[in-house]
Amino acid sequence: MADTTATAGAGSSGTRSGGKQSTNPADNYHLARRRTLQVVVSSLLTEAGFESAEKASVETLTEMLQSYISEIGRSAKSYCEHTARTQPTLSDIVVTLVEMGFNVDTLPAYAKRSQRMVITAPPVTNQPVTPKALIAGQNRPHPPHIPSHFPEFPDPHTYIKTPTYREPVSDYQVLREKAASQRRDVERALTRFMAKTGETQSLFKDDVSTFPLIAARPFTIPYLTALLPSELEMQQMEETDSSEQDEQTDTENLPLHISTDDSGAEKENTSVLQQNPSLPGSRNGEENIIDNPYLRPVKKPKIRRKKPDTFW
Amino acid sequence: MTPTGLEPARMNRKKGDKGFESPRPYKLTHQVVCINNINFQRKSVVGFVELTVFPTVANLNRIKLSSKQCRIYRVRINDLEAAFIYNDPTLEVCHNESKQRNLNYFSNAYAAAVSAVDPDAGNGELCIKVPSELWKHVDELKVLKIHINFSLDQPKGGLHFVVPSVEGSMAERGAHVFSCGYQNSTRFWFPCVDSYSELCTWKLEFTVDAAMVAVSNGDLVETVYTHDMRKKTFHYMLTIPTAASNISLAIGPFEILVDPYMHEVTHFCLPQLLPLLKHTTSYLHEVFEFYEEILTCRYPYSCFKTVFIDEAYVEVAAYASMSIFSTNLLHSAMIIDETPLTRRCLAQSLAQQFFGCFISRMSWSDEWVLKGISGYIYGLWMKKTFGVNEYRHWIKEELDKIVAYELKTGGVLLHPIFGGGKEKDNPASHLHFSIKHPHTLSWEYYTMFQCKAHLVMRLIENRISMEFMLQVFNKLLSLASTASSQKFQSHMWSQMLVSTSGFLKSISNVSGKDIQPLIKQWVDQSGVVKFYGSFAFNRKRNVLELEIKQDYTSPGTQKYVGPLKVTVQELDGSFNHTLQIEENSLKHDIPCHSKSRRNKKKKIPLMNGEEVDMDLSAMDADSPLLWIRIDPDMSVLRKVEFEQADFMWQYQLRYERDVVAQQESILALEKFPTPASRLALTDILEQEQCFYRVRMSACFCLAKIANSMVSTWTGPPAMKSLFTRMFCCKTCPNIVKTNNFMSFQSYFLQKTMPVAMALLRDVHNLCPKEVLTFILDLIKYNDNRKNKFSDNYYRAEMIDALANSVTPAVSVNNEVRTLDNLNPDVRLILEEITRFLNMEKLLPSYRHTITVSCLRAIRVLQKNGHVPSDPALFKSYAEYGHFVDIRIAALEAVVDYTKVDRSYEELQWLLNMIQNDPVPYVRHKILNMLTKNPPFTKNMESPLCNEALVDQLWKLMNSGTSHDWRLRCGAVDLYFTLFGLSRPSCLPLPELGLVLNLKEKKAVLNPTIIPEAIAGNQETAINPSSHAQLVGFQNPFSSSQDEEEIDMDTVHDSQAFISHHLNMLERPSTPGLSKYRPASSRSALIPQHSPGCDGTPATKPPWSMELARKGTGKEQSPLEMSILHPVATTPLSVFSKESTSSKHSDHHHHHHHEHKKKKKKHKHKHKHKHKHDSKEKDKEAFTFSSPASGRSIRSPSLSD
Repeated sequence: MADTTATAGAGSSGTRSGGKQSTNPADNYHLARRRTLQVVVSSLLTEAGFESAEKASVETLTEMLQSYISEIGRSAKSYCEHTARTQPTLSDIVVTLVEMGFNVDTLPAYAKRSQRMVITAPPVTNQPVTPKALIAGQNRPHPPHIPSHFPEFPDPHTYIKTPTYREPVSDYQVLREKAASQRRDVERALTRFMAKTGETQSLFKDDVSTFPLIAARPFTIPYLTALLPSELEMQQMEETDSSEQDEQTDTENLPLHISTDDSGAEKENTSVLQQNPSLPGSRNGEENIIDNPYLRPVKKPKIRRKKPDTFW
Repeated sequence: MTPTGLEPARMNRKKGDKGFESPRPYKLTHQVVCINNINFQRKSVVGFVELTVFPTVANLNRIKLSSKQCRIYRVRINDLEAAFIYNDPTLEVCHNESKQRNLNYFSNAYAAAVSAVDPDAGNGELCIKVPSELWKHVDELKVLKIHINFSLDQPKGGLHFVVPSVEGSMAERGAHVFSCGYQNSTRFWFPCVDSYSELCTWKLEFTVDAAMVAVSNGDLVETVYTHDMRKKTFHYMLTIPTAASNISLAIGPFEILVDPYMHEVTHFCLPQLLPLLKHTTSYLHEVFEFYEEILTCRYPYSCFKTVFIDEAYVEVAAYASMSIFSTNLLHSAMIIDETPLTRRCLAQSLAQQFFGCFISRMSWSDEWVLKGISGYIYGLWMKKTFGVNEYRHWIKEELDKIVAYELKTGGVLLHPIFGGGKEKDNPASHLHFSIKHPHTLSWEYYTMFQCKAHLVMRLIENRISMEFMLQVFNKLLSLASTASSQKFQSHMWSQMLVSTSGFLKSISNVSGKDIQPLIKQWVDQSGVVKFYGSFAFNRKRNVLELEIKQDYTSPGTQKYVGPLKVTVQELDGSFNHTLQIEENSLKHDIPCHSKSRRNKKKKIPLMNGEEVDMDLSAMDADSPLLWIRIDPDMSVLRKVEFEQADFMWQYQLRYERDVVAQQESILALEKFPTPASRLALTDILEQEQCFYRVRMSACFCLAKIANSMVSTWTGPPAMKSLFTRMFCCKTCPNIVKTNNFMSFQSYFLQKTMPVAMALLRDVHNLCPKEVLTFILDLIKYNDNRKNKFSDNYYRAEMIDALANSVTPAVSVNNEVRTLDNLNPDVRLILEEITRFLNMEKLLPSYRHTITVSCLRAIRVLQKNGHVPSDPALFKSYAEYGHFVDIRIAALEAVVDYTKVDRSYEELQWLLNMIQNDPVPYVRHKILNMLTKNPPFTKNMESPLCNEALVDQLWKLMNSGTSHDWRLRCGAVDLYFTLFGLSRPSCLPLPELGLVLNLKEKKAVLNPTIIPEAIAGNQETAINPSSHAQLVGFQNPFSSSQDEEEIDMDTVHDSQAFISHHLNMLERPSTPGLSKYRPASSRSALIPQHSPGCDGTPATKPPWSMELARKGTGKEQSPLEMSILHPVATTPLSVFSKESTSSKHSDHHHHHHHEHKKKKKKHKHKHKHKHKHDSKEKDKEAFTFSSPASGRSIRSPSLSD
């Protein structure tokens, strides 16, 4: 039973690589298994009383057998996993066979039939070996809560850390110095990179690389970049806001909130309105404290204009 | 300066105490404006207007309206088709391609053209003939409804479209449109009576895309979807009578914010800017409260709207119940510098809502009252909001500005009176433009005019007290609001108009004081006062002998006679003396109170009652005088140059509490580079209680003093140790503290000090290395992470400081600037500039202040010869699509380059941009900058000054800028700066000499000129519409007889003459055979009302009568009259004779014959010529943007 899955896997790849002349051990293994299956098919045919068979038909039968066995393996695996196991048991196979419409009861009798031929086990070919990684240190055993079938821990060097301790710099001057030069270096590197990767302008005709200026590029909407605070500033603003401007937000947010709500709601209205013009009216009454003409819903056109096509 | 015969002129004033007399023979009561299609892609507008008009005279047969740019399809009066004629002489001011090119001539012609269509005088570009069927109706003075269908295609002025070229629908792209313009410019976008004195109620309808919002004046009544639900119509009603000039519109995908404090106030901004809008407008309600409180009057309109738009024409534009602002005024809470500026803009616009929008003016000469009052109450708001120091500082600044301007140009006249209309009485003959119309004024003059107006209001306040002043305002407002509520009594509405006489009357009623001398001095007369003061102390008499001289002969000055306050600070206290300035007395003896022997222990009392200890060792032992101030309250518009000893200035700086006095002493101390001055300035700098602006200017003064005493200077560079103490870390003095701008005073000082320090120079006239390192360190250690505010302005000023430190490069003659010979200091500076400029691309700063500073710094490096001079970088930053501040900074550099390198190519590039840039403000600004920093001036030899340039500029102001008053006046200013008033010197003289004699001219005329002239004419099109119209009207009305409307002011100007004659053509009456009434009776009738209508005296020069007789008698075509008569009869200079004669003949060679041949023969030729021309023009009608075409006149129905 243990190699059902292996068979199934081998079967599919075997068909692909069948025509090819390969020397690789895995292929050899598949070829060998294929040959064994052919032997099985041939012996079954002999049992059935055939004297000879065309190669094509043998191949076909082999293919069918292989598919059948693969399907048993696949299905059995599913059953076993369904019951949260990793190893299929006999009952999995039985259920599989039943499922596939095979009468299991006939199996013992068939196995004990008199004229059956015994096939020698296929020669064991050398398994493809995964090259062993250099083992450094002892792999950690699984802690008790991890089932043993889980993969083993990787080598310790992949996860262990060795903290090093150094005296933190606390001198103000050095800190500022460091922060300043770091920022300057980052900025310079970044701008140089941008300048190198994009178009540049230069102040000197003979030298374009010493003071590269990123080329001026017009915006389609120039006021947005000019007026809206940059992301960096936004971040800062949030930080300072949360700490210092608490009392302000309390007083300001209340009325402002309503107004934003409404302007948003107005947009909704436009879509709501098309289905039910009476809806916004009721909405107005209950929640819209501010009566501003720009927040009022848009009216539907008067119906008395009978011919809209000619009107527009 | 002083117009002689002022008093008689006042007598002639028509708008006297009787109130307002309309210049129009009808009263407009209501107007509907309906714009039912706005196409952003094509930038076009389609709509109609309907004016409800009541005739006020029986024989009204034509109605003049204002309209520019609009293409008018159809006019109906009470549903009857009406013929109309469209003539706009301002499209092209001087019609002939004359070789004259003389600005004097142009300015006269331009003023005449503007007057010919001036709505304030009852004129207009559009003249509609009342259909004959309605004449009876009119005679009964019954209502007329004038319905005009119009469209507007790619307007160049009046309406501005902003359509960003990105993907998506117009709303997603943030496309928007808004009305704009200078003074009354509404006629640029719909036909109306574009006068501030014609009030009516309004109904405004705008159909826009469903994703857009249309914001306009008055109350939004409703918003209705169109049938396809794709668009919606905004219906506005404005029930308060309002002048068309105060009507505005803004359409765009605006975000809407209802003011949380005042629900009737709504703010609009472009998508994504809502958070900024919230912050920016969060202050507005306080301004409202302030004005309502001081004026004891509620805001007159039921709602108020603010709209923030891109590519604004001006930062602030106030219209009835709405104001349009530049979107660049929006800012977040992190921005310090912009906040007060924006608030000032908001307050300014709101003040104009009361005075300017709600209360309108009777005529242009009353404009100063409105600008004065709104500026004055805005000043009161400043005082309350920013404090007395800021207010006084501002007043001083404004005073200095107006004084400098008047002394430079020769005077600003607030209340121009034009008696008789003779040009020699022109009160502004010193100027290169006419001040008769707002639209002929130089923009700079107009800003100075506004500045003077509010200063004069302050003078009136000084005279009558603020309480009375506010009572007067309240009276004006309550009169107006009573009048505005009279819905059906339109004659009452003139109460909403303010006039100079009405205003003065109300002042005298309320206060009981006579302010006539004050008005005469500052309002009816231009010029400022220039005082020179000096003194001597007479120890024996214990008297201060003060000598005050005046200069009243230089341009822009006037003589002052009257009281003058002098404040003397003595040891025993401060004493005010009022001197009487009289004609011939220069010396004034002021007795001193204190004995010169001083008691050292005693504290010295100051003006404000404070008593302080002073170190008196510096002063003169014999004199008790500490300091003397002349006119400390600024109650005269003056410039004072006063001489007192350096220690007195130092005492004044240290101990006088008035910021103006401190400012003055700082200015004076520049001349006294002594250790004592240094100490006084340093002390002021350190004094926290001192006004920050004073401290800021002390910085610059200290730098100057340090430079003057460079050889004796001891210690570290000026201000360095002070800055270190104030802003650097205690433990490491070379490192600046992390930024904390919570205290704005020290923020401004922190910004300014390095800029001033960079101006320091050592003995070699270089910036000390120590200072440069210091500034570079400031930049290096700048850390804004913990700051609540943005440091973009601070960083920008650090770059300015770097630029200030740059000194001219030591160079071998004309050595090419390369990297190798770059000065190491400059290399460091350049390194910083490069990094800053590049970082801006990744993390842009607010309003790109840093880019702006970098560009300026690069130009400084170029100019000083460190970096090769090259405009390419600036040109790329000047392109459309950059933020406007960047563009202006870059353009300024290009302008400077043009001047320094005398580059023809760059000048052409700039001129091209003036003509083609999409942003009106930028075009205006380029002209402005070129005028301020001209590539050459009139008395200068320059390779740039050539005939082609003259032609180009002439064309620009003559016809290229007809869509924008401000731009045209800017072009005139530039022309004046470059060439002066007379004929540009670079033009070849011989040709001109020949022009003098027509016979000779013909003989010698350079043959190359003729084809050029013809080509030129065909190209620039002599007002295509006028020719087209002729065809339409020549046949049906082949003669005319109405000359009564010839404006006497303009008679000797051929242009105006022609335009008047063109106006004649539209007269409906047929000569002799008139079906309706005899021509003679009609022309006899009209003069009875004409003086009131157009302000011309009833007397006519004899020749025009003769003309009339000839015209009717011989059935002469009016056109021919217009051609022939000016030549034959008007007393013109030879120069202009030349030009008039060629005015309407398109071909130069043609008109030379004119005078020799017999007139009759010639007439036929002319007729022929014009028919021919008009055919051509008809074809060309589409290429020119002239809105009215001949076809539509002849058969209005065709265009339907």
